[in-house]
Amino acid sequence: FNSTVENKIIFKWHYGGPPATESTAKPPPFKDHTFLHSGIGGAAAGKKNRTWKNLKQLLVLERALPWKLDDPNYYNIDAPPSLKPAKKYSDISGLPANYTDPQTKLRFTSPDEFSYIRLLPSDVVTGYLTLRKATCIVP
Amino acid sequence: MAAQDAPVCQIISFHDSKTSPDPFFELSPQCLNPTPAPIVIDNGSFQTRAGWATSAAELSSLLLQFRSVAARSRGAARSETQIGNDIPNLEPLRWLLKSQFDRNVVVNFEIQELIFDYIFTHLGINSEGSVKHPIVLTEAPCNPLHCRQMMSELLFECYSVPYVSYGVDGLYSFYHNNAQRKQQPPHTGIILSSGYHCSHILPVINSRQVTTNGQLLLCDFQSCVLKSCHLKCFKYPNTHQFPLKKLCCSVLCDVNFRLDAVNCKRVNVAGSQASSYLQRLLQLKYPGHLSSITLSRMEELLHEHSYTAVDYHEEMEKWRSPEFYEREVHRMQLSFSGKLPSGCVTAEERQERRAQQLRRLQEINARRREERLQQDQERLDRLLAVQELWEDGLLDQFHRSLVELNMDSAEELQSYIKKLQLAVEQGRQKLLHSDGVEGKTEGLEFEQPMDEGDGVALMDSDFFEDMLPQKSNMAQPSFNMAEYHQLFVGTERLRCPEILFQPSLIGEEQMGLMETLQYVLARYTPEQQEALVSNVFLTGGNIQYPGMKERIERELLAMRPFQSHFKVTMASRPALDAWYGARDWALEHPPGEALEGWISRQDYEEKGGEYLSEHCASNIFIPMKIAKPVPARSAEPSVTAQTSTGASAAITTVTSSLDASSASLSADVTMVTS
Repeated sequence: FNSTVENKIIFKWHYGGPPATESTAKPPPFKDHTFLHSGIGGAAAGKKNRTWKNLKQLLVLERALPWKLDDPNYYNIDAPPSLKPAKKYSDISGLPANYTDPQTKLRFTSPDEFSYIRLLPSDVVTGYLTLRKATCIVP
Repeated sequence: MAAQDAPVCQIISFHDSKTSPDPFFELSPQCLNPTPAPIVIDNGSFQTRAGWATSAAELSSLLLQFRSVAARSRGAARSETQIGNDIPNLEPLRWLLKSQFDRNVVVNFEIQELIFDYIFTHLGINSEGSVKHPIVLTEAPCNPLHCRQMMSELLFECYSVPYVSYGVDGLYSFYHNNAQRKQQPPHTGIILSSGYHCSHILPVINSRQVTTNGQLLLCDFQSCVLKSCHLKCFKYPNTHQFPLKKLCCSVLCDVNFRLDAVNCKRVNVAGSQASSYLQRLLQLKYPGHLSSITLSRMEELLHEHSYTAVDYHEEMEKWRSPEFYEREVHRMQLSFSGKLPSGCVTAEERQERRAQQLRRLQEINARRREERLQQDQERLDRLLAVQELWEDGLLDQFHRSLVELNMDSAEELQSYIKKLQLAVEQGRQKLLHSDGVEGKTEGLEFEQPMDEGDGVALMDSDFFEDMLPQKSNMAQPSFNMAEYHQLFVGTERLRCPEILFQPSLIGEEQMGLMETLQYVLARYTPEQQEALVSNVFLTGGNIQYPGMKERIERELLAMRPFQSHFKVTMASRPALDAWYGARDWALEHPPGEALEGWISRQDYEEKGGEYLSEHCASNIFIPMKIAKPVPARSAEPSVTAQTSTGASAAITTVTSSLDASSASLSADVTMVTS
């Protein structure tokens, strides 16, 4: 087996051409040009699906492996959700907020901020809520 | 920082620095003799840093440091991809930028291949067919096995590298700083490493070398205290653990440290979340400057103008006072854009404009009414004249005029006359009303110009007339053009680094950094906690905010028992120390016979791509065989995945016959454990 690998490398040597200086069109000499990543697509994918798996898909695969309870792996070491209640801050200024506008659900600290909030266009309001992940999902 | 008139206010403009392309270095002979020198690559999701690990003085620092991005416009050939510092300004290509990372893990190996090509080409490597130098590479803590497999495959198959070593960047940094400070082992400590996508808490426990029954064993400190004693056999590294009695505690000598991976934790909040948060905040505050608020400028703001509060609430209270605000707000001056602020007019100006439009409309309506009234009047006169003809008895003329008017009979004429008379009356009354009272019939008036196309055109020209007098107001203090183009960055300087400690600011439910630290510490016994907390080490690019160290010390003071001791140290160069640590490690552990920490080509072929050789700055490796994905071209996949269990399972992995280029595993691999 090893000999075939070596043969392949020597094979490349002959056809690699003179090392010379790097030009942008010429591929770099130190790699194997016929190398194919085995991670692109899958067996069923064929030539069309040449996408890489993203992290979520990889983690699904990783979960499927037979880990023991204590073994550390990528999703095990995720920090748990917070045990302390979140402090409320104004969406506009970031100061600690005591009040929430019932109409727009934005938080504010002072009457000036309140009047500013009431004059905001709706896309800005939605923007602030999305920042806090507080947009309403009710259909 | 330019000081303006009156109180000190800071008006700063963005640097918008452009990167210059990296030079092509020459391969110096010291890198080849006596053995090829290792190449050290710190593969970060924000920046990639590369250089040599030699003892030569001129090569002892970083050679390459560039953003880990690649840009290729659609339809361009693969060779026209720009990488890293080849892109002078990231913003025009922002939508074309691709990174090999997803969070802090490499998933796209094509781009990784391009990055490696870039690194090797710029380092001057021109050997044929293979890169002859060992590679030291960083990976994520608890890197998924599939990713390591792909990375090993890329390095061993494509570049034919002789040896590869993987390590965690935070641990390399720890190693480097310990060596700098000449600290004696045991190195126990807890590392807070905050990068671009994630922040990690990495507890490190010193391990001890144990000799018993003639075999050299490595004992895990934690296991000793837990008394469950899972020991690893040093002679056969990475075979599975088997239990022993706790006599291991009696014969001890310190060697080095290991990452206690079971208790690591990761918080998914770091630099990239901070810059996108800052960008959204400023864009929502200044919707007129959407395109000027770019991510590169946000990064500049974070690197140079942001700080961490030692006590967040106290600091926020300070920002309430207007004097403090005036002093501390950073006004970022944007360049003049020339477009008028359409949404920036105040409410009064808007009302003014509306009233003016109303007046114009009313005038149009009045003119229309007058005209109509006049027309009706004329027509009425004519009809009355015809009627008189009829009354006078001049029937022929009457009938002729009827035909002219397109009417059939006298009754029709009569009704028409009546209608016209009514209309004239109404018109006259309306004219009288509109002269007097304005604004009452506004609502009605609005409907009318809709019917007439002329009215709309007239309104448009009036609108532009309105704009022109507006421009002459520019000189007035109520609208300051320079100020309109300034971004006031006040509390945002403080809020964005804070998301590391309070992820609820961006809606994340995870614990913040210090709460996670508390959680991790709670998993240890009090003695272990003391040992860990006496060496808290901060590293990573995101740690570089001013005030970070004081903040962490303060929070530790709050969470530790009263009057207990702790010590917080920061890395000397938080962003770069990982590379220097990896280099130090490579110099002290050259690949050779010992092979602790190095994966050789043979190891790769025998044990698979996911194999990791552990060392003091690496992840923990749990032996597990995973399926090697089959490339798209092959016919049928027949790879089976099994795990290696404890004592005596013989494992066979069978691969189908594939192309020579992609098949690296031989047909039958048997691995026998002792």
